[in-house]
Amino acid sequence: MNHTIHFTVNGERYNISVPSHHTLLQVLREQLVLTGAKNGCEAGECGACSVLITWPGAKRGEPVNSCLVLAPEADGAEIITIEGLMHDGQLDPLQDAFLAAGATQCGFCTPGVLVNARALLNRNPDPSETEIRETLVGNLCRCTGYIRIIEAIKMAARAGREVAR
Amino acid sequence: MTYQTVGRSKPRVDAPAKVTGKALYPGDITYPDMLHMATLFAGRPHARVLAIDTAAAAAAPGVVAVFTAKDVPVNEYGMQRPDRPVLCGPGSAKAGGDVARFVGDQVALVVAETEAQARAALKLIKVEWEDLPLVLDPEAAMQPGAYQLHPDCPDNVTCSYHIRSGDVEAALTEADVVVEGVYLTPVQEHVYLQPEAGVAYIDAAGRVTVEVAGQWVHEDRKEIAHALDIPVDQVRVIYPAIGGAFGGREDMSVQITLALVAWRLAQRGIRRPVKTIWSRAESIIGHGKRHAMKLWARWGARQDGTLVAAEVKVIADGGAYCYTSNKVLGNTTLTCTGPYYIPNVSVDTYAVYTNHVPGAAFRGFGGPQGHFEAEGQMDKLAEALGIDPVELRLKNVLTDATPLPTGQPIPGGVGLTQTIIAAAQAAGWTQDADGHWHKPADGKWQMANDDTQYPIPNTQCPIKRGLGFACGFKNVGFSFGYQENSHARIELRGGTEIEEATLYIAGADVGQGHHTAMAQIAAETLGAPFERVKVVASDTATMQNAGSASASRLTYMGGNAVRGAAAQALVAWRNEDRPAVGDFKYLAPKTTTIDHETGQGRPNFAYGYVAQAVRVAVDIETGQVRIEQFISADDVGQAVNPQQVVGQIEGGVVQAVGYALLEDFRTDQGKVLTDKLSTYLIPTVLDIPEQLASIIVDVPDPNGPYGARGMGEMPYLPVAPAVAAAVYDAVGVRFDDFPLTAERVWRGLREAAGSAAGPVSE
Repeated sequence: MNHTIHFTVNGERYNISVPSHHTLLQVLREQLVLTGAKNGCEAGECGACSVLITWPGAKRGEPVNSCLVLAPEADGAEIITIEGLMHDGQLDPLQDAFLAAGATQCGFCTPGVLVNARALLNRNPDPSETEIRETLVGNLCRCTGYIRIIEAIKMAARAGREVAR
Repeated sequence: MTYQTVGRSKPRVDAPAKVTGKALYPGDITYPDMLHMATLFAGRPHARVLAIDTAAAAAAPGVVAVFTAKDVPVNEYGMQRPDRPVLCGPGSAKAGGDVARFVGDQVALVVAETEAQARAALKLIKVEWEDLPLVLDPEAAMQPGAYQLHPDCPDNVTCSYHIRSGDVEAALTEADVVVEGVYLTPVQEHVYLQPEAGVAYIDAAGRVTVEVAGQWVHEDRKEIAHALDIPVDQVRVIYPAIGGAFGGREDMSVQITLALVAWRLAQRGIRRPVKTIWSRAESIIGHGKRHAMKLWARWGARQDGTLVAAEVKVIADGGAYCYTSNKVLGNTTLTCTGPYYIPNVSVDTYAVYTNHVPGAAFRGFGGPQGHFEAEGQMDKLAEALGIDPVELRLKNVLTDATPLPTGQPIPGGVGLTQTIIAAAQAAGWTQDADGHWHKPADGKWQMANDDTQYPIPNTQCPIKRGLGFACGFKNVGFSFGYQENSHARIELRGGTEIEEATLYIAGADVGQGHHTAMAQIAAETLGAPFERVKVVASDTATMQNAGSASASRLTYMGGNAVRGAAAQALVAWRNEDRPAVGDFKYLAPKTTTIDHETGQGRPNFAYGYVAQAVRVAVDIETGQVRIEQFISADDVGQAVNPQQVVGQIEGGVVQAVGYALLEDFRTDQGKVLTDKLSTYLIPTVLDIPEQLASIIVDVPDPNGPYGARGMGEMPYLPVAPAVAAAVYDAVGVRFDDFPLTAERVWRGLREAAGSAAGPVSE
């Protein structure tokens, strides 16, 4: 069975037919060819498929494992993927910080980590290191040992506060 | 030494695409009119395929073709020994090619219009199996009468090494102190985040082309060509972005099967790209693992701490196929006596075929196993002799003046002493006026930054703290008689000044930052700005062999190739050639195999060195071990890119912390029980050391590019023994096996305390 869903992805409105059993991740990657969100386990265990989703009626986006969301559930939602993190051709401060801190190695976990970190800074522009660590618990990284990632998020938070000042 | 570009943390050339989601990994590649392949795995650890009926699958909706063993021209492959069938089943000429020897052996390939159709059709393939006896214990598999797993290997021993130097029995008899141990090291799964995937097609030049994630494009090409029985120049291998490797992509996964399918379809007039993506479970059963090993050791020392003898025997579970067992075991052979001068040495090592998932390359190549035993022995000796563990190491450590057990002096520029002192001092060790080293006093350690302090669950529990130390070394490159080499080509364009330098290098950037490091070495040699170097990489159609991204070799070999090519290009540039081209193949200093009886020889020309200190907190009620502070001092010769070096240290340490504390690969009768990331646990951000300090030591390697030596594996090597020593220091119970999961530690503590501590549920 198919469903027709209306949703917004990275600011673009879509009105598409999706198989009922397909996940949001499948629809993003296969139908919309947005391959930034990765499929690392298809079971909600690695976090590489994280995207930000603002449910209908909600005020703020929250990070979800898009492999655990059925596509029809996303009807009416607004979604931001890694491809939508830039603004007006400018990198998000988190993306800049990841480059500066050397926070990406193989890079497969990076889109999910960045999206999740964006959600953290949206709800708390000045997180403690403990909050940063607790936020990242659902994102597996096998390359970096997480240290540069934590540094990069701190760096981006500092940069964000500078701008706000 | 100070350079313009080398030694500076230049931004990674691959990072902008990775942080924006634009980087394409094999599973992200899509072509028009693409077909999808699914793989039927054996699922049985040891069984003969008597018959395969693919008729129903071939007739299923969307299915284009089904392939089995009879479709593989030369049904064998293997990087070191072609002992594995591409597809197990009847109909090929490969002796024993009809037998599946582990659960991840492959039996059939279905190609269909969609992935779902291909996977659905797998279930319609009827395989008639004859189960064969399971061979699961390597010690038993070596015994006469054991079931023989491969036609050409009567004792199931894949490979063995032996070292005989001096008179071990006499030296042990005369030694003041002898310590013994039997050590068990576990299997480890790589868990690179990107599961195996790829796309194959016939390119415009008619070549069978595979876009895939691997570690060595030219080796992949060779193995594909061998199985398809076609010349290598009719095969092309391209690496897009690679989602981690750690040795696990050294051997073939989807390379040959994808190539086979695209090639067979083209023969039938179907020229459509074919894609495949393995699930996480398929990845976990389908690629090799770090070898589990059992190591028996007896070491002797004089009262003053001088090591006099080491006797070590090692049996490694090689699993179903050879893969790189010979390379892995070679490194265990060299590292199992530690980075020490020991005049009398006897080593016997064996890798043995079983029906487990094959033992394979994994960061450190057998070095972590050797070090767990060697450094465990050193910790026991330090205690028995009443000598500080740092002092005992410094007294015996290899220097430029000392020979290895293989008879030859270790190549010059040995930075071990420097790394040991750096790590020890950073952890608080002090040296008195008489030259003796002293461990920092108990209780002195305090977390420096409260914000990083993690509450240990149930703070009412008694927490015991301990400090451990270990060091290590490992060769750079494959060597052992293999002529290490690497090729690079550089083209310079511009008028009076170099406007663009294009570097062609086939080396794989598996995440370690290889392409950035190579661009830095090119810029340095050319005297050109880093930003003007453009890297074109990892395509066998346009570049020659740079060798594998493994064995900590690529910066060293590739860097020397790039340096040579850049120097040549500069000569051409000065001769007014435009473009000015440099094309250079680096040949490393020669090595030899080690003698099969005595182990004497010159197996390597370069090594890397490391020393580490670790502070742990052990909850004696739950057995949980937390790492509060970790210090790693690594002699990298010259850091080409310090930020990336630190990234390798941090990543290597945390991966090895997983090995030491968490990662628990379980099988039952050859079947893998932990084929999910929720059952095979790797470190999350909450499992990493609360503090991790990386110290870069730079004793130049005489032959490394700008003095650099290989370093990707070294930070991994001493982690497990350092953690075990710290746990012993904390709780007084020795663990000669790991991972030190809460359960293992809890049981160990209860056993040590006797049954008085209460009932132990069994």
